Amino acid sequence: MADIDEPAGAKRLTRRDLLRKAGVGAVAVGAASAGAPYAFAGPMRFKGRWLKGDLSIIQWVHFVPAYDVWFDNTWCKQWGEKNDVQVNVEHINNTLLDTRAAAEVAAQSGHDLFQNLHPMASYEDQVINHASIVAEIEHKVGKYGALGKASTYNPKTKKYFAVSDNYVPDPVIWRHDLWNDIGQSPATWDHVMAAAPKLKAKGHPIGIGQSQELDSDMALIAFLMCFGAFIQDEDNRPTLGSKRAVEAVSFMASLYKKGEDPAIFGWNPASNNNYLYSGTASMILNAISATRTPEQLNLPFADQLWIWPIPAGPHGRLGLEHVMGCYNIWKFSKNKENAEKFLADLCINYKQATLASQLYNFPSFPGAFPFSAIRKVAAADPHKPKGKYTILTTIAEKYTHNIGYPGTTNAAMDEVFSKYLIPQMFAQVSQGKLSAADSVRDTNNVVKDIYAKWKKRGKI
Amino acid sequence: MAWRSRAFSYGVVVPFAALLAFPFAWMAVTSLKPEAQVYDPTKVWSFHPTLAAYGFLFHHTDYLLWLRNSCLVGLMVVVITLAFAVPAGYALARLAGRIGRALGVAIFLTYLVPPTLLFLPLSRVISQYLHLSDRLWALVVVYPSFTIPFAIWLLMGFFKTIPQELEDAALVDGCSRFGALVRIVFPISAPGILTVVIFTFSLVLNEFVYAITFISSSANRTLPVGVPTDLIRGDLFNWPGIMAAILLPSIPLALVYNLFLNRFITGFTGGAFR
Repeated sequence: MADIDEPAGAKRLTRRDLLRKAGVGAVAVGAASAGAPYAFAGPMRFKGRWLKGDLSIIQWVHFVPAYDVWFDNTWCKQWGEKNDVQVNVEHINNTLLDTRAAAEVAAQSGHDLFQNLHPMASYEDQVINHASIVAEIEHKVGKYGALGKASTYNPKTKKYFAVSDNYVPDPVIWRHDLWNDIGQSPATWDHVMAAAPKLKAKGHPIGIGQSQELDSDMALIAFLMCFGAFIQDEDNRPTLGSKRAVEAVSFMASLYKKGEDPAIFGWNPASNNNYLYSGTASMILNAISATRTPEQLNLPFADQLWIWPIPAGPHGRLGLEHVMGCYNIWKFSKNKENAEKFLADLCINYKQATLASQLYNFPSFPGAFPFSAIRKVAAADPHKPKGKYTILTTIAEKYTHNIGYPGTTNAAMDEVFSKYLIPQMFAQVSQGKLSAADSVRDTNNVVKDIYAKWKKRGKI
Repeated sequence: MAWRSRAFSYGVVVPFAALLAFPFAWMAVTSLKPEAQVYDPTKVWSFHPTLAAYGFLFHHTDYLLWLRNSCLVGLMVVVITLAFAVPAGYALARLAGRIGRALGVAIFLTYLVPPTLLFLPLSRVISQYLHLSDRLWALVVVYPSFTIPFAIWLLMGFFKTIPQELEDAALVDGCSRFGALVRIVFPISAPGILTVVIFTFSLVLNEFVYAITFISSSANRTLPVGVPTDLIRGDLFNWPGIMAAILLPSIPLALVYNLFLNRFITGFTGGAFR
């Protein structure tokens, strides 16, 4: 029986109707929330059955565990289900990636997508031209960042030998409490030199390695650049043998004697981190893993770790990326099309990756997650001192360059980098084995030979 | 006089044993510390034991799978090594003269080629010809390439210490050559064979380069590859987890070594005295 106050045409909601509508609503909400993690890549067309295509990927065990969880369980799963491709991801320790790449090339068999943490320019002949992938990404999110392009494009052969999905800035991380005690800050290398003896006397040396490992390589090449010494010029011609390089090497040897520990000659990539975590180091150059870990472990000085751009030298403030995520597709890859699509989609949707990595990974295609947006996220980081990560965006945007700057990263530069010639050059002087002039001259001769070899092969 | 000699022995042995035991004690203590405490400089000497590292190992990694894989590969390689090395070692020991010696040296020289060079050509063999990429069989095929030469060399020295007359006597008593080998030579050679078993198993358990090159999926990893891959994230070492992962397999291995210590020493020094 209808109510007399009920408007014409209106229908009274019975208990059964209510239950039915509530049920439909609950199902809709449930379905939407279940699909939420996948929402950014569209609906899944092939869920619930064995997927037809295949794609195998190998990459590092990311420093941030949440990134691997997102990558494996959300991104790859969702992408695979959407594209009818079974995606298998394998993670190995970053220090083992070069060995694995060499083995895959030797066997002419391996993963469809191979990610390394530096551009593998010397394998240019082993990989496809990634130009179409770059074009596809640029079409969707805008220009390839200058850093990414300089790291993966060979202007001589006009070939993209990789696609960089991300890079990691390499700031200076310093103990504000210790530096404050002596009334200094690492604004310039002269400041560092002045503070080093005082900090060492208090039991807190500077922690810049001079060993055959990634972090020393990065820090010392950037240090050379701050002094106006470059391994190559903008046309990729070797230029290491310069007066400025000698000055830089002498300066670092002096810094070592005044304010460092001999242990730096035997360091591995984790040594500077451990040096900082142990409460000993007063300053290191590293990715933000060095601040995130003390925050996670609640170390007593976690709030005293400040992030700054690399100290300025006579030539300015020129830093390098800490690591450069670069994906290659081998010529012998069995699933090239899937690999190409996967890589393009990943770079286009890189905002998710940057967030999952807790701002460790910055997109190499800045349009995927603009700096202004990242800056807001960084500023909202709750760790003390409040806003400490905001500067990271500025470092990523202004002070981060490619290996081989002002030229491009090429096979010769890759070899110089992989053979750790620059840390050796510094260490020989710091250890008193050679004079700065002799060490630079000897290294320059080796560098010239490497460049001549790759020039002969037509790669530079 | 006796107590002086004993005191001297203990005086030498106790500090030496303490020195050798120290890394294991450090491993045990670190494995029981919370991760934050390992890094915290203010808590180096404080100790609040927890089994969190062991829990992480068993619940968040494929640790048991790695352990199983290592044991499986180890056992198969031991069997293959013995199958080749025992007859080869015996034959070379009995091959008197320059040829036997030269062959023995040549076989041992192959052991000296480092895996860091061999892994490149071997990856092609494993991948393209044998199609064993990412399978434990790849390791079962490759590992004997360095365990067999060493085992042959070790057993060759050991077999040389067994007098030929014993075999001759068995032959005179109606044994065939194979029968003499099984009934007389092998039982006497038990310490040498045991040494080969333990040494081969240890080599396999420690091998890294081939394992990282030929195996990629987590489920097929062996212990030496699984630990650094899953317990080191970039530049962050999970020290309690790493220590726990290393400590666990080292305990049974140490017990086995202790159990057969005398035989093990006899096996190693067998070829040294005649």
